[in-house]
Amino acid sequence: MSTLTLVLVAAVITIGSRVAALAVLPPPPDALAGVVGRLPAPLFAALAAHSLVGTDGSGPEPAIVVAAVCALAAAARWPSLLITLAAGLGGFGAASLVL
Amino acid sequence: MTSEATNVRRGAERLLPAALPVAAAIGVFGIIYGAAASPVLGPSLTIASSVITFSGAAQFALVALLTAGAAPAGALGAVGMLALRHIPLAAVVRSRLSSGRRTRAALSWFLIDETTGLALSRPDPPERTMAITGALAYGAWVAGTIAGVTGGSAAAGSVGAIEPLAAAVFPVLFIGLAALTASARSDAARAVIAGGASVGLLVIWPEAGALGAIAVAIVVASVVSRR
Repeated sequence: MSTLTLVLVAAVITIGSRVAALAVLPPPPDALAGVVGRLPAPLFAALAAHSLVGTDGSGPEPAIVVAAVCALAAAARWPSLLITLAAGLGGFGAASLVL
Repeated sequence: MTSEATNVRRGAERLLPAALPVAAAIGVFGIIYGAAASPVLGPSLTIASSVITFSGAAQFALVALLTAGAAPAGALGAVGMLALRHIPLAAVVRSRLSSGRRTRAALSWFLIDETTGLALSRPDPPERTMAITGALAYGAWVAGTIAGVTGGSAAAGSVGAIEPLAAAVFPVLFIGLAALTASARSDAARAVIAGGASVGLLVIWPEAGALGAIAVAIVVASVVSRR
């Protein structure tokens, strides 16, 4: 299989899965609707953990841990994505200067 | 200007402060992808891969496996596994979309973690949020890839200094999205449990990756059902 074919098939898999999931598959049955309704918060918490820990097992930079802690503190106090982003990136900047 | 056009413009202006840092971070990783993939795929195919795929996880995985000498079937199997994450993402965002199948098919191009989260957490119509943030992210990803290809290792080296900042955007963004989608105390409890369990899983088994973390979230949402 040529590299061009490989890239094309990978694109078809990725795009096809997106279209199928959002436009073709039926909505979740009632039995699963409750699970789907409860999913967003744990889903994004799990993705936060993944982006924090990474995939090579080496763990995050200390400044990124500080950013996450600052973001958590802000998110717990103010329900604003912008404030959370500002607090996290501000914490990252401060930690980068100090650590 | 019609009132609808004015609403769209105001909605876009409200979205920009949250969407631009995300797009910028995606652009930085696009540069890194372009520089890393160009020697493997060639310049034209590297850019084409970003134009036709728009999936950092799938594209980085494909290039890494090709570099490691993996068989085509194995590389495509990995891409297929990564594509499974679209099912829960679509499930959580679909209930918020009032549009028909054709519009959802068009929006599916922008079905990534970040656009899904913003669509769920912003007060604007989710279709508009997905379209605007997705277009910004897609443009940044393709532009970053082109910069990485044309600038090569020099471009990757020049963004090396800000790569940790770009890497910090994603956990911060997802923490914010988890907080915004936790409308009840029980949601917050599920988020804490899922976050902690995912950290544990990924420390023990890093190869579980995003799919493992998403599986943890699904298990927590299934098992911890108290409102």
